[in-house]
Amino acid sequence: MLVDFEQIQKAKAGDDAAFNQVVVAYRKRILGTIARLIGRPEDVEDVAQEVFLRLYYSLDQLRTPEVFEPWLYRLTVNASYDYLRKQRRRNESRMSDLSEQQVIMADAAAGGKISGEERRQKQVKELVESLLGAVSEQDRILLTLKEVEGLSLKELEKIYSVNENALKVRLFRARQRVLNAFEAKKATATKSVGRKD
Amino acid sequence: MDQWNDELNRLFASYKVAVPDPETGANFMPELWRKIEGRRNILLRVKKLTQMFLAAAAAISIVFVTMLSVPAFSPSDNSGSYVEVLADAYPTEGLASHGILPREGVEANTK
Repeated sequence: MLVDFEQIQKAKAGDDAAFNQVVVAYRKRILGTIARLIGRPEDVEDVAQEVFLRLYYSLDQLRTPEVFEPWLYRLTVNASYDYLRKQRRRNESRMSDLSEQQVIMADAAAGGKISGEERRQKQVKELVESLLGAVSEQDRILLTLKEVEGLSLKELEKIYSVNENALKVRLFRARQRVLNAFEAKKATATKSVGRKD
Repeated sequence: MDQWNDELNRLFASYKVAVPDPETGANFMPELWRKIEGRRNILLRVKKLTQMFLAAAAAISIVFVTMLSVPAFSPSDNSGSYVEVLADAYPTEGLASHGILPREGVEANTK
């Protein structure tokens, strides 16, 4: 816990200063989780503000301060899920805004300015985001929380309010789908390299 | 398959490094409080509208109930019996011209 229970109790009772302290304590962690869940740095702050806004108006429903963190993660998951769903709907129109030529030129311009390590990180980011983009929003969020954020099954149980076995099944299936997408991507890359040779 | 799994695990681990926790902008907290205040104002407005609507509905209900429970009557109906109303409408002085005499007059004549 990044804040003590008393602070959460005060915030729950309507103390705005206590709520402010709770936000200050958790905002960096929540922003990081959202950044990896949604993969769009420009919208991370908006989604994080939505999370804390929902927290402010639902804090009175929190039973005990002990479950505060899973509660906050659940709000984060829900806000990210809502964002990803909206984003998926918007995606087609956004892609049509830029011609393929413009996308290639923008990528090339960005690639010229960054160092080798940054380029490698950019490639990792793009690859993981394309793999996670190939599965549903639910799978994407669940896998990110488990594999990237490193949450335990116990923690995920509290966030999702489902038992461990159901979670294991969902995780296994989600991972299989990502693995399939990964294999397909690798196969396509190998083919295109073979064609160039 | 294990090879793919290991590679995917490495990829996920690298992803966390590639996307570190971002720093919050200077406007994060003011913007958050602005949104909280905005939502609070909307909720207050909705609450006020709901209260006004409920008060108006209650007032209309009371008016309807009152209208239905009180029987309709006019003040003139309350002035007396049927005979008294007739007597008021046809004063005895006017009846003599029609050959109708007041009761006392008839009794005196028979005596």
